[in-house]
Amino acid sequence: MRTKFFVVLFVLGLASSAMLVTAARPAASGTITGKATFTGTPPKMKPIDMSKEPVCAKEHNPPITTQDIESGPGNTLQDVVVYISAGDQGSAPATTTAKYEQKGCQYMPHVLALQANQPQQIFNNDPVAHNIHPLPKANSEWNKSQPPGSPPIDTKWEKPEFIAVKCNIHPWMHGYFAVMGTSHYALTGADGTFTIKDVPPGKYTVTAWQEHMGTQTQEVTVAGGEAKANFTFKALPY
Amino acid sequence: MNSPLMTKRINRVVAGVPALLFLLAVLLPSPKPAKAIPAFARKYGLPCSACHVGWPELNNFGQVFRDNGYQMMNERDSPITRDPSYFPATIRITPQWHRESANNQPVNNSTSESEDHTGTLTTAGFDLSGLDMWFAGTLYKNISFSVLPSSDSFANFHFENAFVRFDNLFNSSWLNVKVGKFELDLPVSEKRLLTLSGDGGFYYIYHFSPFGDQNPFGGIGDNQLGVELVGHNANSYTRYAVSVLSSNDGGVGLLYGVPPSPSEAGNPSGRTYDVYGHFEQGFNTIGNGFMKVGAYGYFGYAPTFFETSGGNPIYGKGNEPFYRAGAEWKWYFNKFLVKGVYLHGYDNAFLANGIPSNSGSLKGTGNQAAIWNGGFIEGQYVISPQWIMIGRWETVHMAQQINTETPGNLGNLNAITYANRWYPFMFSRAGLALQQEVSWVRSNGVTNQGGAYGSLCGDAGLSPTCKINSYSIMLGFDFDF
Amino acid sequence: MALSKKITRSLMLGAFGVALAIPGVAVAQDAGAHAAGLTGNAETGKQYYRRWCVGCHGKEGNGEGENAPYLDPKPRDFTEALFRWRSTPTGTLPTDQDLYDTITRGVVDTLMPTWRPLTPQTRVDLIAYIKTFSPKWQTQKAGTPITIPPEPPQTIDSVLHGRQLFDQMQCWKCHGPEGRGDGPSAITLTDDKGEPIRPYNFHDGTRFRCGETNQDLYKIFMTGLDGTPMPSFADSLKPQDAWDLVHFLRTLQPNVPSTSRTVWLDYVKTHQGQIKPMGADAQGQ
Repeated sequence: MRTKFFVVLFVLGLASSAMLVTAARPAASGTITGKATFTGTPPKMKPIDMSKEPVCAKEHNPPITTQDIESGPGNTLQDVVVYISAGDQGSAPATTTAKYEQKGCQYMPHVLALQANQPQQIFNNDPVAHNIHPLPKANSEWNKSQPPGSPPIDTKWEKPEFIAVKCNIHPWMHGYFAVMGTSHYALTGADGTFTIKDVPPGKYTVTAWQEHMGTQTQEVTVAGGEAKANFTFKALPY
Repeated sequence: MNSPLMTKRINRVVAGVPALLFLLAVLLPSPKPAKAIPAFARKYGLPCSACHVGWPELNNFGQVFRDNGYQMMNERDSPITRDPSYFPATIRITPQWHRESANNQPVNNSTSESEDHTGTLTTAGFDLSGLDMWFAGTLYKNISFSVLPSSDSFANFHFENAFVRFDNLFNSSWLNVKVGKFELDLPVSEKRLLTLSGDGGFYYIYHFSPFGDQNPFGGIGDNQLGVELVGHNANSYTRYAVSVLSSNDGGVGLLYGVPPSPSEAGNPSGRTYDVYGHFEQGFNTIGNGFMKVGAYGYFGYAPTFFETSGGNPIYGKGNEPFYRAGAEWKWYFNKFLVKGVYLHGYDNAFLANGIPSNSGSLKGTGNQAAIWNGGFIEGQYVISPQWIMIGRWETVHMAQQINTETPGNLGNLNAITYANRWYPFMFSRAGLALQQEVSWVRSNGVTNQGGAYGSLCGDAGLSPTCKINSYSIMLGFDFDF
Repeated sequence: MALSKKITRSLMLGAFGVALAIPGVAVAQDAGAHAAGLTGNAETGKQYYRRWCVGCHGKEGNGEGENAPYLDPKPRDFTEALFRWRSTPTGTLPTDQDLYDTITRGVVDTLMPTWRPLTPQTRVDLIAYIKTFSPKWQTQKAGTPITIPPEPPQTIDSVLHGRQLFDQMQCWKCHGPEGRGDGPSAITLTDDKGEPIRPYNFHDGTRFRCGETNQDLYKIFMTGLDGTPMPSFADSLKPQDAWDLVHFLRTLQPNVPSTSRTVWLDYVKTHQGQIKPMGADAQGQ
């Protein structure tokens, strides 16, 4: 009789402590996933003529095309930046260094998403000189030369902004720094999909930015699991 | 009660009101400027107010531009740096309404009577000024020019100026040479005067001639023919000018003076040369001010008789000297400008009395040299680049008349002028100024044009106690394009 | 009583907010300006701006004055707070003295006159007013002027090293092998407003837009011309290298007599076949 009592007590104790543990742990963080696609006919991407820089032209046979719209099968879009633009309850500061590379007279990646005040390093891995010329409006604009063999340029950006980047010596080079004010962002991959991790439950406004087709915004509610948000851009032939 | 925060808030709210008005001003449609442009504003894209206190009077920036030979010195001055459609031309004229009156004028009511009493003559009505057509600028880098056919209000044209100038010789701003007909480097330019009325539209001391004086020289305000060497430092704080001029008071065809009409030839000139010099120095003062002091002198000759051929005079002889000399002072500070010019005039006794200089001594004849002193003080209140008030007092005082018999103060004058000049717009294209002006001159015994043209007060002969008061009122629409 | 005070207070704060929301001219703070040993005041500078500057730079200081459509190059847009000719590193604001010097000097081969005929106080007041056109002057301080070490002698070694640097840094890509502004990338260059812009032509030029001394030339590539394709080489060149490059650049200017050019011409006479053409190493780097 006594043993039964203790067994019940023990089980109850286990159950309650299990419940306590569950109650003490915060509600499970969710993720926002989705796909970026477009409808309509986008402008044709043109091959880039690098004949003015023979060293780079050699590296691309056939030549690469312009990257204003990087589309894939099923009208998916690569390099779309998806981020929480409102309702964000708090984001973690970045711990790594964002890297940007000039290779084959091309920016890799084409769009670099990084956080405000996150350290950034820009590499010149070409045998020719480049100049890095970001064109911000809210942040301070600067322009630095990077001859071949130079060490990487260390920099960071204070204000969230989409910053176009160019090289004046090689006018076909275009890229972007997507400086985010939150850690809740992601870039779509070659298949057009993205995943934003570690999103606490709540209601959010999520924005998707594509360099040519503008932005799309949605309200997303995260409840601890996977919230879906697909973005469909309207493409025009110009 | 009035916490610092409260006061601050009030200041901020009050500060917001002008911003609101500013917004409204920006949103309300503004008139589109006309496409054609006064020469320099069009060429360089500056508003008129950049070079002019209020056009046509120059400020120091405009003075430097002019001293550089109408150049900004940025390798964009030569006409080849411009679109071929650019043409350096400007016109200016002033339609107006004006009223002129003078008292103590000889009046004759009946055709059978000679002038038997004095009265006040008044005329008023709408009128035109003369027309200026001004072409000026650069022919090439460091070679500038100006041509100004100018007419009186009857459309009789003459060349007010016509010259070519070689600028910055040997790459020095101290050496510039001008050849042709031009305004002397006067302490205050009369051609850029802001007063336009009948009695107030010129500086008396620049033209004054004593009663009865036969010297045909019209004064340093007349444009002269000759060559001028001018130099200045980079910001024109230090300037000098030296001119050598023909002794013909700017008359062409080797005649003396500008004939009143093409059919009336003036007398021939005297184959001599006059010299004019001017030096000024500027320095910064309190009140973000800028002061200039300077001195000038004109030394000239005019003939007292002529070599003739068949009874007609062919050139002047018996040249006798005269001079005009003096000092200047100008002060620009905050929104005020004050300018003062002093002049001392001298005409040789033979010249003044019209006596050939080979006719013997003048001792005991009572004929003597004419000597006088005069000057003006002008104040300007530049309320904004588009609104200027001008006030001026001028006086001339005879020190020695041409003859001992002549009353000592005959011809003395005092003049006071006030003008209000408002520019409704201030662009880089055309210009318009609305002018309201009153002017009063009082002269002793003669009308304010002295010398050979003076007329006596009433019929009492030489009567310096008879004061002639002359008034001008003018409402003018001064525009250029 | 306390409640109505609170309401009044919040109403006034609201009005305050509205007043602040009205575009900046009246409420812009006067950061003042200090140059040439004088202090400038923006309110005073405003009346001078209306007289002298508004025709090109515009009422809002955005380079959209009435004459701007007819000007080439275009007048500076002060609302961006992006200035080319500075003594401070790329990406930083110029000092007040930098702005004062630009106004005083004017800009050669443009329609920006030299404003030296204005009194120094007038020019400093203008700088103070120009700074009110952009909020960046409130949030950022001017950069720290770079240190320019004393210039070493203009020897042939310095010139030759400078020539090597001109090749390695690939300056000739824009400026051309003879510095005539005809390099392969020259015709594609645009400034920040998208307007075509040409690299400096050393062969035809005399002054630079930011001065005429060797120190001015040093500053150009060690601070970069922000707002143009000309980058800063401060991260790539040591000060000694920079002076060698200055000396070489002077040899490209036949219209500017210099010791560097004299020693270079002497060298060319005696070493005819030994000088490698510029850009020859581009493939091999």
